[in-house]
Amino acid sequence: MSPDILEDAMELWFGPQHVSAHGWAAKLTLVGDYVVECDPNAGYFHRSAEKVLEFKNFRQGALVLERMCMLEAFLAEYPYVAAVEKLAEIEVPERAKIMRTIMMELSRLHSVQFWWGQFNAELGFFTMALWPWVDREYTLDAFEELTGSRHTVSYASPGGVKYDFTDKVLTQINRAVNRFEDRLPKFRDMQMGSPTFRARTKDIGLYDVKQGLKWGLSGPPIKACGVPMDLRKDDPDPNLAYDMVDWEVPIIENSEHPGQSDALDRMEQRFKEAEVAVEIIKQLLPQLPDSGPIINPKARGKANRLPEGEAYGRVEGARGITTLWLKTQEKAQTAYRAKIRGPCIASYYALKDLVPGAKFADFIVIFGSLDPYPGWWDR
Amino acid sequence: MSETKTSASTIGRQIINKYPDVQSQPLEDNKIELIVPGEKIRDVITMIDELLDDALPESAFGIDLENDQYNLIYIFWSYTNRILLQLRVALEGEKPEIDSVCDIFPGFEWHEREAREMFGIEFRNHPDPRLLLLPDELDGAYPMRKRFKTDQSRLQETGIKPPKPRPKPGGEDK
Repeated sequence: MSPDILEDAMELWFGPQHVSAHGWAAKLTLVGDYVVECDPNAGYFHRSAEKVLEFKNFRQGALVLERMCMLEAFLAEYPYVAAVEKLAEIEVPERAKIMRTIMMELSRLHSVQFWWGQFNAELGFFTMALWPWVDREYTLDAFEELTGSRHTVSYASPGGVKYDFTDKVLTQINRAVNRFEDRLPKFRDMQMGSPTFRARTKDIGLYDVKQGLKWGLSGPPIKACGVPMDLRKDDPDPNLAYDMVDWEVPIIENSEHPGQSDALDRMEQRFKEAEVAVEIIKQLLPQLPDSGPIINPKARGKANRLPEGEAYGRVEGARGITTLWLKTQEKAQTAYRAKIRGPCIASYYALKDLVPGAKFADFIVIFGSLDPYPGWWDR
Repeated sequence: MSETKTSASTIGRQIINKYPDVQSQPLEDNKIELIVPGEKIRDVITMIDELLDDALPESAFGIDLENDQYNLIYIFWSYTNRILLQLRVALEGEKPEIDSVCDIFPGFEWHEREAREMFGIEFRNHPDPRLLLLPDELDGAYPMRKRFKTDQSRLQETGIKPPKPRPKPGGEDK
């Protein structure tokens, strides 16, 4: 850009006090109504979780992890549990595998329900903000009935899960799922059918899949480009039950711009994500055996001290590939090094290249459609 | 996206044929680890970019092995071929240096910034070597290094007052 344009430029900090900027701040350079430079800043939410994990034993570690992103707490803690299970070579009972998968998809559903509300509130579309949040209460009720906690569930433990599904839990899960299915057509109509909403999101934040992969994007922002990249199919954790279900990776194929996605595609992608999550839950619930162990009795002893080694736990989170890389020393009680890879470090970084050229009012559309959560890049 | 599928061992062989200094070590399934000398990292990552056109820069991070020994790990994921590539670079010295690769994979830019502030690994030609997460007063403290003390001795350095002792249960004795 030529320097004379920048003479009239204004620097504006979006966040950290702005209500949409909950724990992040981006420095925007504006010329008129257009953003010419975006400098996303990290560090407002930094709690040095990786260092903390070096002082926690292998049953405590998952509790630190789920505080990274309370909206997908179970999906956040799972990579740690998976890495510990790989290192200690712990077998997981069949029943626990199904329970974990159901909980994982419920977490995904909850995350999408929250995101609808947040994204629409940021765009000033308050009906669609509050209605999904009412339904979200039902999902949270199921979490509460099962684990006693509404957000930080800490459900998985090396070797299985902590609590059994009672009849009441199953009722609550069915209630949450049915409620979602009842209301989904209404939401779809209200959101995708709204001309105002379409006008605000169409062709905003457009990128192609190659560019997205270079930034490191994964999950819904990539699947919305029509690319079926999903760890649940490509590299499923052996202790999950995705192979027992018949499902397809949800993708959006937009004929107007093949191989690319805009904010509207990413919105529609979230609808499909939630639909598939519910489909998986509905297929798994009848397959759940009535009785059987939910945790391997030897796991507690095995997870006390781990052999020397390195393991990599991965899971397809609600926002993309979520992983934990774990290194231990001989007879370790704590991790030697734990590296958390959150999906949103890439989507927040992408703003740097994606936002310049957009109108200021579209900044929050681009940000919201990528759904970054600050816990994932600050850790 | 490429239609022809390849395997982790094929990729590993192609890289080793071109750069014989690289060593490989198979991990489980379709995963492979390549041990790359520090000066070859740009060549190897450029080659990965050419061979796998859907390579996702998944993660890059440092490990402190104590006594000025460091490892730097880069992880790539290719979903069409279902390959996980893990590159390991051994570095040593008080201020280890390596070339930045974030012009090839921009997704690594912040990972490199984090490794720099947390472990003191310098990335040559990095476009934006500011602190990513840390406050300015921890610049140069490298808190993820093992020698960084996290106990009470840090209190004197920072000037923060030690926390008050916890009250005894049942209240204080009169």
